[in-house]
Parts: sequence; C-alpha cells; structure tokens
Amino acid sequence: MADIPVPVEITAAVWKIEVEVGARVAAGDVLLILESMKMEIPVEAPRDGTIRSILAAEGDQVEEGQVVVVLEA
Amino acid sequence: MVWQAELDELRQREALAREMGGADKVKRQHDGGRLTVRERVQALVDPGSFHETGAIAGKARYDAANRLEEFTPSNCVFGRATIDGRPVVVTGDDFTVRGGSADATIREKPLMAERLANEFQLPLLRIIEGSGGGGSVKTIDTTGRANLPNGVGGGGLFHYATLNLSVVPVVGLGLGSVAGLGAARLAASHYSVMTKSSAMFVAGPPVVSRLGQDLSKQELGGWEIQCRAGGVDHAVDTEEEAFACARRFLSYLPSSVHGVPPVLPGTDDPERREEALMAAVPRDRRRVYQMRPIIEKVVDQGSFFEMGRMFGRSVITGLARLDGHPVAVLASDPFFYGGSWTADACQKVVRFVDLAETFHLPVVYLMDCPGFMIGLEAERAATIRHGVRAMAAVNQTTVPWCTVVIRNAFGVAGAVHQPAGRLSLRYAWLSARWGSLPLEGGIEAAYRAEIEAAEDPVAKLAEIEDRLNQLRSPFRTAETFWVEEIIDPRDTRRLLCDFARLAEPLRRPQPSRLQMRP
Repeated sequence: MADIPVPVEITAAVWKIEVEVGARVAAGDVLLILESMKMEIPVEAPRDGTIRSILAAEGDQVEEGQVVVVLEA
Repeated sequence: MVWQAELDELRQREALAREMGGADKVKRQHDGGRLTVRERVQALVDPGSFHETGAIAGKARYDAANRLEEFTPSNCVFGRATIDGRPVVVTGDDFTVRGGSADATIREKPLMAERLANEFQLPLLRIIEGSGGGGSVKTIDTTGRANLPNGVGGGGLFHYATLNLSVVPVVGLGLGSVAGLGAARLAASHYSVMTKSSAMFVAGPPVVSRLGQDLSKQELGGWEIQCRAGGVDHAVDTEEEAFACARRFLSYLPSSVHGVPPVLPGTDDPERREEALMAAVPRDRRRVYQMRPIIEKVVDQGSFFEMGRMFGRSVITGLARLDGHPVAVLASDPFFYGGSWTADACQKVVRFVDLAETFHLPVVYLMDCPGFMIGLEAERAATIRHGVRAMAAVNQTTVPWCTVVIRNAFGVAGAVHQPAGRLSLRYAWLSARWGSLPLEGGIEAAYRAEIEAAEDPVAKLAEIEDRLNQLRSPFRTAETFWVEEIIDPRDTRRLLCDFARLAEPLRRPQPSRLQMRP
C-alpha cells in the first residue's frame, strides 16, 4: 500500500467533488471537477485505489501542482 | 611497406583515443547507467556510418626519447554519419575525460562540428553531458588566467549556436548532468530530449547551495522541472529512446533550409472517415474533450510526433504526415484552461511556427481557443505581450496554412488562427462557435444597464443569453460568408490531405526571411 498524491494540472476553482473518503476508484474515474475559463475540467484517478483523503473543498481556489486527493493503492 | 611504421603509430593512437578517459572512468559511466560517448554515437546513427574527424586530437606526454608515453583524447567526439541514409553531423561530449569540460575539449573540435553542419548543410545532433565544453574554475588554474566569455576569438561557438538554427535542424540530447555551456548548447536547439535520470541547470547543486538552496540534481533540474518550464522538450526513460526520438524528429525535416521536407509514399487512406469524430466534441459547451485522439484520427496513422507536451499545455504542437506529406500540427487542449493561450502557450506557439516557417512545413491548426488566459496571474505574466508576439509569429509565416475550427474561436487569440493578410484554407466543424468574447461574462458587461433596470435581472440575463445563443449559430455566420465552410468532421482527413497535396509545390527551398531563435 502506497499513498499516491493526485495534483491538479492547472490553477482553477474546485467546482464539484465527485468522491468521498474511503471510496474505491478505478484509473480514469473522475475525482473532482475544476472550473477554469467557464469550462469543467475533470481530475481523474491516475490508477486504481481507495480515497485516503481529500485536501480541497468545493469553491476552493487551487494552484497548479497542488495535491487535492491522496489515493491509497 | 614504405610507411608501415607510421601506419602502425596512427592505429596505435586511434586505439588510445578509443579508450577515452580510461577503464575506471568508463566503468563509472556504465555503473551510472549511462553509455559512453562512442557507444552513444554508434547507437544514434545508422550502423557503421560514423566517420570521425580528429579522433587522435588530445593531450600527449612523451618520454625522454620522444616516445608517446601517455595520451588523453579530447572530450569532444565528432564526425559525420547517416541517419535513415541521410548525412548528418554528430558531436558528443566525453564525460569520462575531465567531465566534458573545456580543460580537455580542444575548442576547435566542437566549433568545426558546428561549421561542418552549417557549410555542408547537414542536420546537427549534439550529445551533451557535463559542461558541454565549458570552462570550469579549474581552467583558471590550468591556463593561469581567467577567460572573458566570448572574448577575443572566442565567440565562434555562440555564433554557430545561433546561426545554425536558421540553417539546419539542430537536435540536443541531454544525457547525464548538463550545466553551463552544456545547458546552453542543449537548449539552443529545435528539439531537445533528455533521459529522466538526467538533469540540466545553469549551475549545479554545489554552486546553488551557496544561495542557500540545498537541492539534489533532480530537485534542481530534473526532467519534470525542465520539461514543464520548457527548457527541454521531451524526457524519456532510456538513452535508446532518446536516440529514436532524435531520428524521428529529423525524419519530418529537410536536411537544411535549402531543401523541402521529404514526402514519403502515402501509407494510409487519405479518404479515411472516422465515425468517432462526429461524437468527439460534447454538445455541452462546458464539457471538455480529448484533442489528441482527434489529431491521431485525421493524420496518417501513427505519424503524430508530439513535441513539448509538458510546457504551455493548452496548446499541442507536433509533426505529422498527411498522405505522406510532413506537416506541423498545432492544436488546442481544452483540458488546460479550456484551451486558452497562457503566456507559456504563446511562447510555445512562437517557437513552433518559427520551426515550421524555417523548414518549410505547412501548418495545420486544429483550433479550440476561448481566448487569451484571463485573470490577475495572466496579467502578471504579460499574457497579452506574449500573445501579440505569437500573433506576429503567425502573421510572419509564409508557409501554407490550414485551420479547422473545432469549437471555440474568441477574442484576439481567436483571431490568431490563420496568418493575417494572406489567404489560407479554413474549415469549421459543426461544433464551432465564435465571437469577440464568450457570452458568459460578456453579456453582463455589454448589457449592464438593461439588466440592472430589469425587474428580474437574472431572468433578463437568461433571456438575452438565450437570444444571442440562437443568433450565434455558425450557419448564420456562413450565410453571410463570414466563414467559408462548415464541414462534416468525418471529412477532415480528406480535406487536410488535399491541403497537404496543394501545399507541396508551394514549399520554397530557401532560407526563411526570419532568423530563428531558440
């Protein structure tokens, strides 16, 4: 078991969080949706795993490179 | 044999040169997971094609009877070779000899490699490791004086590092720790690739630690840092992959600006229609989609070669073929800021269209750009100046140009979708939408008085938005011939292949008016 940090690739607002702590996700599942330039930009799970923690809330402004979810895989 | 003794000595000296920095240093190179410069050259070029120049140049020591006692070759290995049967110039740093630094380079060797490429009009591949022939502090000790950079007679390498970008394809391979002049020679290229175990920096960790930054090589200049910053174009796991990237990059380009990109026989049906293109763009305008599969579906299968993927990521740049014709592909990636042009993206566009212009590559632009990036950070990054610089770069091109508006075309960045002032081909997909600025936010600005005066401002806003949405159907634009053609997305490949064939005789094998900059 290793912790996999999931950073966001862009500076944006967190629009919607699609998962809860403890949920099982598969690679490619949408973890949360950012809003940038009026577009919804999904942040996907890089691999299969369980959500260990969620480090942002809806409405938060997040910076490029900021870790928003930690997966346990 | 009249000259047997001399021939024996020549072979002996050549054998000494092949030992490079000696067995210990070679072992250390291999233990670090890196090939020696000679192994690299062999693996990079066509087998057996390397013809070396100046192999026996180096530093020698003689005994009292004037017999050669010890020999250390120069740490610059260069010569000509072929790649895919086409002649090239290769120059490489030998890290096993004084870490590739100037102490052991013999300045004229890398300089002659640059001149050979320039004057014989051949692509240049630089294999960089160490300081790339740059000086070390030790040089002061060994020469007994400090050199003025670019001092008397010392500017040759810098001259050619600049000039060659406008004459021949230049590829940089960063294999190991690359610093100082080495970093400059790597970055001053049309395409640079590094291995993921390598690092590049202006100055390495020991120097940087004096600033109070205690960083490892990777933390300071590892591939993720350099590729995201746009310092290096691409990173791969192994040296063999780096060589394959270099060879592939060159396959799309002429040997110099005095030729045109080589057209290969078509291997993929130019009439191929991909059903998936009809569903590639979501109807919901807030939802994003993957651009790369669209590129893959319209160009010759397997021909897309992306460059600079990690930098300026709202635009995608790469080379590809259309019915065998090499083209430069510019595209948007809505996953990054909706495809809007950030300052970085603009820099990427400038360098890319300059490359296309320099080497006579027709440009295909698959566009989805909602405008320049907006907001405080974007203003702080001088997005608009980088933006108009990108606009100028596009407008200064003379190569044939074809744009397909996939979805958005808004604002000034939206205007930069074809060179202004000359004719190019343009098509719009059924999903295309355009305007001076997006409705969202734009309505509030333009109809403020009307909305504020309304009894229900929210309803008023929705009403105006609904009305404008109907008016901005691309068919109304086409009706007035404000756009030439709206197409079935499945016809895109056929039309682009047609463009590439039309463009073929328009490519002019002559130096560009522009002098390319790295």
